[in-house]
Amino acid sequence: MTLPAGVYAKTYDEDQALIRTRPQWFFFIAIMIFIFVLPLFAGGKVVGMMNMVWITLIAVVGLQINVGYAGQVNLGQSAFIGVGAYAAGALTFHFSAPIWLTIPAAGISAALFGAIFGLAAVRVKGFYLALTTIAAQFIFAFTMLKLPKAWFGQIEGLRLNPVSLLGFKFDTDVRMYYLIAVVAVLMVYGAWGLVRSRTGRAFVAVRDNDNAADIIGINVFYYKALSFFIGAFYAGVAGALWGYYIRYILSDMFTLWLSVWYLGMLIVGGMGSILGAIIGTVVIRLLQEFITYFGPWITEIKIFSGMGFEIIFASMNMFLGGVIILFVIFEPRGLVHRWNIIKESYRIWPFPH
Amino acid sequence: MISLLSHVINGALTGLLFALISMGFVIIYRSARVFNFAQGEVVVVGAFILWSFTQYLGLPMWLSIVLTFAFSAVLGLLIERIILRPLVGEELFALVMVTIGLLVFLRGAILVVWSADVHFIPPVFVSAGIRVGPLVVDKSLAVGGGITLLLAVAFSWFFNRTRMGMEMTAVAEDHQIALSLGLKVKRSIALSWAISGVLCALAAITFVSGKGMTFMVGDIGLTALPVALLAGLESIGGLILAGLIVGISMGFAEYFLDPPLQGGVGAVFPFFIMIIVLLIRPTGLFGWKTIERI
Repeated sequence: MTLPAGVYAKTYDEDQALIRTRPQWFFFIAIMIFIFVLPLFAGGKVVGMMNMVWITLIAVVGLQINVGYAGQVNLGQSAFIGVGAYAAGALTFHFSAPIWLTIPAAGISAALFGAIFGLAAVRVKGFYLALTTIAAQFIFAFTMLKLPKAWFGQIEGLRLNPVSLLGFKFDTDVRMYYLIAVVAVLMVYGAWGLVRSRTGRAFVAVRDNDNAADIIGINVFYYKALSFFIGAFYAGVAGALWGYYIRYILSDMFTLWLSVWYLGMLIVGGMGSILGAIIGTVVIRLLQEFITYFGPWITEIKIFSGMGFEIIFASMNMFLGGVIILFVIFEPRGLVHRWNIIKESYRIWPFPH
Repeated sequence: MISLLSHVINGALTGLLFALISMGFVIIYRSARVFNFAQGEVVVVGAFILWSFTQYLGLPMWLSIVLTFAFSAVLGLLIERIILRPLVGEELFALVMVTIGLLVFLRGAILVVWSADVHFIPPVFVSAGIRVGPLVVDKSLAVGGGITLLLAVAFSWFFNRTRMGMEMTAVAEDHQIALSLGLKVKRSIALSWAISGVLCALAAITFVSGKGMTFMVGDIGLTALPVALLAGLESIGGLILAGLIVGISMGFAEYFLDPPLQGGVGAVFPFFIMIIVLLIRPTGLFGWKTIERI
């Protein structure tokens, strides 16, 4: 099947490989092909939904590095996304800059904004840090609405034309899908490499006990700030793609609740695992679609008939809050933990797990 | 000049209201070592409960207030018992997320029960502003500010002078040591949640009396954050000073910065102050500095 029934590496290269067996190569290639032919046979609605899944995935993977690996509680991810979206939007809007420049630039500007809070994380710990990152949200929304109208459009937001790359115009959902999917796959691949590297291990050490990490020679200040920098970089890239996809950017899109959704995805998927971020994003996103689909149907029920469409908002909130509470209490290691159990019991079969 | 003075006075009173809400945060944090993000929603529940008793059931005001206090205390106890008791000793992130989950959940539940319509809460105090010379001060805010000052003195006395309060302070320092010395840790934590629930109801009553309100009032839980952080999450007396600093600087910011920036400065300014103070003093002005060991 897909997993080796033991650890068989004979060389360091084999030991370090991400993909180790032939069946794994097979599934990897199959998944890649599936990703890139999906828009050819899926309907427009599915492609639109998948675009948002990819964008969310980038932001959540960044958050996973920041929160799940480095252990720095971050409630400001959606503000970082907003900074990226505005940066990319303004560069395209005012200077018609090409996207191979604007998307990394968006990542960097969000990362610099995030690093400010990373510097706070160096001094401030625990609940104080969690609360400080909420300030990012308020400062972001305020600043964007107060900067001169010619820059970011204040309350009217920024309207963008479709972007293009080498003459290829990303003006439909399907065309956008390819841009977003390629960037997302690259970003997720980067994250997978990063968390296995020296940096990733330093993050885990800082998360598990920052005093102990300091004593064994890890520069805790540097790695705390770096984790915010990287997490916000992912957010910025996600923001740029989001802006280009819906071609409209307004600070109201990037609320504190969005950050809470992302953290909810991390919890459902599993902390400290890139796979967990992927699982969480897909599961929560699908359930969101489910609620949006069946929301109007709830209003048919008699006791809720007076409520109209706010029932969707209300049930979304109750669902998200309920899921977070239940997972934190009953399955704090998330769905990826279930997957790991299955994997392990396959590996040591026929012995019981 | 008069306008500046009224900005400053109203700012100070608003700061004291934030201090009252923050007191709910601090009392829980002192005993349970949990920061309850859902505090703002508990305030909203308190306000809607008051509305239900007075407007929906038509009970007299004094009875409704007593019932609201009781209900909020029970709500606090339930939150502690059902959601936070299973998480004792868990890592920080779990505690942050579970109260945020609670915040989101309560917001949805409030919408389902009371809908998004504007609810008018009858005035608890005789409304209309108080005139002090040429100044007009919002009366319920003024009364709220007075109550906050009284409560701060009362709780400082309670935590530093009475046996029960000293026990709760000991529990706050370290759950395990407190337990090994025979203190009733669970009772202390439960009591702090009940007190905090009552404080939320009190904040709700002073904040929304005589006004129309929707579920959005819950955002005040986030707006009050800078006061709690500025004071340090363990200090009750410090809340008054922090509330005044935040409120008065808000007043100044509104007066001087609002005209060139077209409004909205007051809501954000406290966060700037908070970040600057935290960078210099990471545990706020009066928070406990703990020595960390491996």
